[in-house]
Amino acid sequence: MSGKTLPYKKWLDSSRRNGCWYTVGASIFGGPRAFNDFPKDVCLVGCPFDPGWRWPGWQVIIGIETHAQLKARQKLFSNSLTSSLGEEPNTHVSPFDAAFPGTLPNLNQNCVDIALRTAIALNCNIQPRSSFDRKHYFYSDLPTGYQITQHYAPIALNGYLCIPGRDSPIRIKQIQLEQDTAKSTFNPRTRTSSIDLNRAGAALVEIVTEPDLRSPEEAGAYGSLRCDVNVSVNPIGKPWGTRCEIKNLNSVKFMQAAIIHEIDRQRALLSADDGFVPQETRGFNQDTFETFALRSKEDAPDYRYMPDPNLGFLTITPERIEKTVHTMPELPWETRKRLLEAYKLSEQDVDVLFNLDIGGGAVTYFDRIRGLCSTGALLLMVHELVGRLHTSKLTFADNPISTAQLGELVDLVQNGSITGTSGKLLLRKMLAEPNEETTTERARALSLLVESSSDDETAALCAAAIAALPNEAAAYRKGHENVLNKILGRVMKESRGRADSKRVKECLISQLKEQ
Amino acid sequence: MRVNVARLRQFSSWRNAIQEKNHSVNAFVHVAPPAVSAVEHDVPLRDVAVGLKDMICTLDMATSSSSLMLKEFKSPFDATVVSLLREAGADIVGKLNCDEFGMGSLNIHSVHGPVINPFQLPSSVPWAEREKRSAGGSSGGSAAAVAAGMCYAALATDTGGSTRLPASYCGVVGLKPSYGLISRWGVISFADSLDCVGVMAKDVAGTKRVFDVLNAHDSKDPTSVSSAVRQLAAQEANKAWPTSSLANLRIGIPQEYFPSELSDEVLTPVRAAIAGLQSQGATVVPVSLPSTPYALSAYYVISSAEASSNMARYDGVEYGLHVPPPPGSNLKNTASIYAHTRSAGFGPEVQKRILLGTYALTADAFDNYFLQAQRVRQLVRDDFNQVFRARDVLTSSPANADGVDVLIHPSAIRTAPPLEASGDDGIGTYVQDVLTVPASLAGLPALSVPVQKEGWPVGVSVVGQWGCDDVVLRVGGFLESL
Repeated sequence: MSGKTLPYKKWLDSSRRNGCWYTVGASIFGGPRAFNDFPKDVCLVGCPFDPGWRWPGWQVIIGIETHAQLKARQKLFSNSLTSSLGEEPNTHVSPFDAAFPGTLPNLNQNCVDIALRTAIALNCNIQPRSSFDRKHYFYSDLPTGYQITQHYAPIALNGYLCIPGRDSPIRIKQIQLEQDTAKSTFNPRTRTSSIDLNRAGAALVEIVTEPDLRSPEEAGAYGSLRCDVNVSVNPIGKPWGTRCEIKNLNSVKFMQAAIIHEIDRQRALLSADDGFVPQETRGFNQDTFETFALRSKEDAPDYRYMPDPNLGFLTITPERIEKTVHTMPELPWETRKRLLEAYKLSEQDVDVLFNLDIGGGAVTYFDRIRGLCSTGALLLMVHELVGRLHTSKLTFADNPISTAQLGELVDLVQNGSITGTSGKLLLRKMLAEPNEETTTERARALSLLVESSSDDETAALCAAAIAALPNEAAAYRKGHENVLNKILGRVMKESRGRADSKRVKECLISQLKEQ
Repeated sequence: MRVNVARLRQFSSWRNAIQEKNHSVNAFVHVAPPAVSAVEHDVPLRDVAVGLKDMICTLDMATSSSSLMLKEFKSPFDATVVSLLREAGADIVGKLNCDEFGMGSLNIHSVHGPVINPFQLPSSVPWAEREKRSAGGSSGGSAAAVAAGMCYAALATDTGGSTRLPASYCGVVGLKPSYGLISRWGVISFADSLDCVGVMAKDVAGTKRVFDVLNAHDSKDPTSVSSAVRQLAAQEANKAWPTSSLANLRIGIPQEYFPSELSDEVLTPVRAAIAGLQSQGATVVPVSLPSTPYALSAYYVISSAEASSNMARYDGVEYGLHVPPPPGSNLKNTASIYAHTRSAGFGPEVQKRILLGTYALTADAFDNYFLQAQRVRQLVRDDFNQVFRARDVLTSSPANADGVDVLIHPSAIRTAPPLEASGDDGIGTYVQDVLTVPASLAGLPALSVPVQKEGWPVGVSVVGQWGCDDVVLRVGGFLESL
């Protein structure tokens, strides 16, 4: 949001900055497909770019189709459980998912509710009547030979999403419910494909934007994993060019790289004499960062969309919409606003919390502790906690420290019962060996409580330090007051940070003055 | 007591008949070993022998759909209708021959070989050497088994006449219930919007006895109609025909169902049956269903399109026949790999319909064929709603005070055709369907009742408003007792 423009190279080399998830991914969807796979670099949000120097005289038109897996317990048309990553293959499969003869679809109303929440969050018009269609093609990850989707009448139309860095929102053309495919893994050595049906039939929503995006950065700000992107370029002032679709981009970083390559490719084609861009569907090579042709317009498959005869119409009553509106969770942009305004956190802190939230519950955790203590000390601890988790490659979901325990820790630091340094040490201990003890008990057990060192102990430490540093003691007595810090430092070191620095200072001064 | 039951089943007349006759009829493709009934208390179908068309999934027996594609296929679950029969104490004696995936009207397209109609005119020729005629299709095995006394009742399916036509040819009762009454969970789909489970038995009472066990809502079938709606339909039927007596029965004779191709062999007994009901007090009125000429084309477009979709799953990957691509094949394209299995696994009639249906769904053809067929389908429904007295509870169509309670017309154009001559089906076989297809398009209950006392069997169809299956069965009973 700085309003500064950055040179191209600096943008490419820019330091890691966590992407900001303005999409509804965090609280409504299942989040990223791979829990550790959210991009940490090259996702610059809110840095408006002057496009002039990159492709002067050209306009870029981008539309995005996102496929997001719904956070539902069961699949869209069968009651098999949905799977998370790393599950044993082919363990969450019903005869329907495997396309066995004689099976029929049963719409999971919970999936419909989640789709409705998505539509409401994206300000869409929910259609009172929508329907399901079969999209036919043959592929090894599609056991039925067709995917059930909503081609002719999707569940929601005409919404919008605001993104930072531009005034006009991104218009959402439609949201449709559809089945996910199975997962196919190709082994080049044995030249075989392995099919895992765990994912087959899981509920997806496909979110389609109008071609409102105008740069790779805006596309990044809109954000999306697992998407197809449509890109076209045209000289400014001229009609829009032919668009090409780039399929199966599964990170924001790859999406932006694909868009950039595609812009350059199309510009080069159009700059030649009688140049034109053939309409194509293209893929993206994650090693070379280039797009490549998958199929031409002539080879485009005819999906022979047919209304599914078993499913009829999906009717959504106004009452159901009302009920869904009233049970919506707080939306990401509402949370962001609240954290910024009510808690007076910085943008950067909010970004950090949001990124943690994808792993599970950081914002809720913060909300609970927040009520227990002041922000300053809390932030210190949260930063420390986050840093420790990150070093150990853990997500927030792995945090073993309860809100009560962390709240108590913050209190202890705040009221001086333990020093800041001790606090950090204690935190590390609590992470490494979590238990049910209260923080105070733990601190006492580790002799970290400042009160545990008596006046005698403090006096002894001071005397020892003065004796060990006679030159510094003499210098202080002569009037060099700054040298006190060196003696103080020694005491702190000897006490391993446990001593109360204020009291030590007083003690040292009084001892030094005596002699 | 248990041991006695087992002995009874072993030596039951049904199983004896199977042993004696199946070799010459080829109705059963698999016979189950006799099992002791697990149900002790009083149940509606205790020890009643029931055969199942081989498109109905069973845990304990293969379900082949008479196709090479599924010849060894063992379903991991029982169809709902099978569970209901078992709970009712039925003895499920085996799986019955049919046309492959339900596509055909002569039961000659089967990996198990054709079914031979068990009927024989009085003759000195031994039964096993009788004139070989078709049992009808696609549920030829079901009809033949009942006709030959091999089982008390048989379950079949009916998409465009597949229960009523073989019932007519074999001289048994065949019911296609209203669409949405009997669960299709576990019934292999041919065309979902048309498929119904059919019931066949020697008489109307037997048919009703089995139908009553199966007539229940099933939440596993999304097209299964709720109990509330069923009750609503029953109320409407009662309103229209409160006495259930012949004196107050209004019968419609649809003029479009008596084409010139209709043989005298059929026309004579059908006329006699109608006259018989009239003489006992029923009112007979001519009616017209003007969309009938278009119904056949609409049916073939819709059923082929849906079939092409439902057959897409047969690729040999998860189950069923798998033909590995020969060396040197193109392995880059999934469709090319699947083609090896699908070309070998599907018979010519199924392949024909898949190609036709695929074409009808292509972007260019969709509006002119598939969408148009759906419009015609609606016209056919509207035609029926205009002639019936009882209201259609599924739509908001109004009641017709001058309407009729049932329609009566021939089930088939002719009696069972000879098997030899039916090598190439040609257009002729499809024309027969004009009599059965409209009730399928409209989802209405239709019952074929044999009315020929001598000579090759002839069936008469009784068609009623949606949900009025009991009305249709009752009228069938009147026909039977003529």
